[in-house]
Amino acid sequence: MLNYNSILKDEINHNGLSIKEISPIMKLNLRGKKREFFTSVGKNLNMILPTEANTSSSSDKLTSIWLSPDEWMIFSNEGVQKDSNIYELEEKLYNSISKTNLGAVTDVTDQLVLLELKGENIFELFASGSPFNFNEFKDKKGSTTQTLLNNIDVIIHHKDQNLVNLFVRRSFSEHLCSWINDSASRL
Amino acid sequence: MFVINCPYCGERDQQEFKAGGEAHIERPKQPTELSDDEWAEYLFMRKNIKGVQFERWNHAHGCRKWFNMVRDTSNDEIKLVYKMGEKPPLE
Ligand SMILES: [Zn+2]
Repeated sequence: MLNYNSILKDEINHNGLSIKEISPIMKLNLRGKKREFFTSVGKNLNMILPTEANTSSSSDKLTSIWLSPDEWMIFSNEGVQKDSNIYELEEKLYNSISKTNLGAVTDVTDQLVLLELKGENIFELFASGSPFNFNEFKDKKGSTTQTLLNNIDVIIHHKDQNLVNLFVRRSFSEHLCSWINDSASRL
Repeated sequence: MFVINCPYCGERDQQEFKAGGEAHIERPKQPTELSDDEWAEYLFMRKNIKGVQFERWNHAHGCRKWFNMVRDTSNDEIKLVYKMGEKPPLE
């Protein structure tokens, strides 16, 4: 993780809904479709990538999110070192996947900001700015989606009841947070 | 507003998609042997039917995959969605 300033100075708190940035979290983008790609990733992560659309899988250290039939995002469940942007796991994956042309491994740690949303009104907030139908999503722990929120691309991960991870590009994150702050205050 | 059934992600709002024009236009195998008119025909000329049309769409704000769609342009009724590389259905 490079030394970026936090995009949120203070936690947002409105109507029982709280939003804060979680940092530093390692995030990797994985792409591939060959069978060897899956076995190699499985070995390195000790975890099987989810193949069902809009789902995720977790181990004690990592969570992987389905993004597309040949694309996943992996992120660390716990914080990583702040003063370095070299990750052992990325090197392992890079050597066994990118270098052997089985697929692609890209470090997106600094590209995406992770926001944690907590509270009962999370889906009311989403409903006020997203075209996605959250009816089934909100009843299913571990469900994920890529969609739009206030016209900004986001990746949403339903971590637990009343607890949601939201990934947004760093350059859009302040804009999204100011919308969240405004919209949450009107719920 | 209408809902599109992405062959990979399932039903999503139209807002998440981008239209990519007419489907199943084949690039000429020997472009250098074409006249300017024939090249322009391939490059620019589209049917733009009022009625049932074969189109390419991209799930731009979701899985970012391209796919094909058979859509009635007069009422936005989607007849069929199928993956890239699959044969277009015969009407
Ligand atoms: Zn899709």
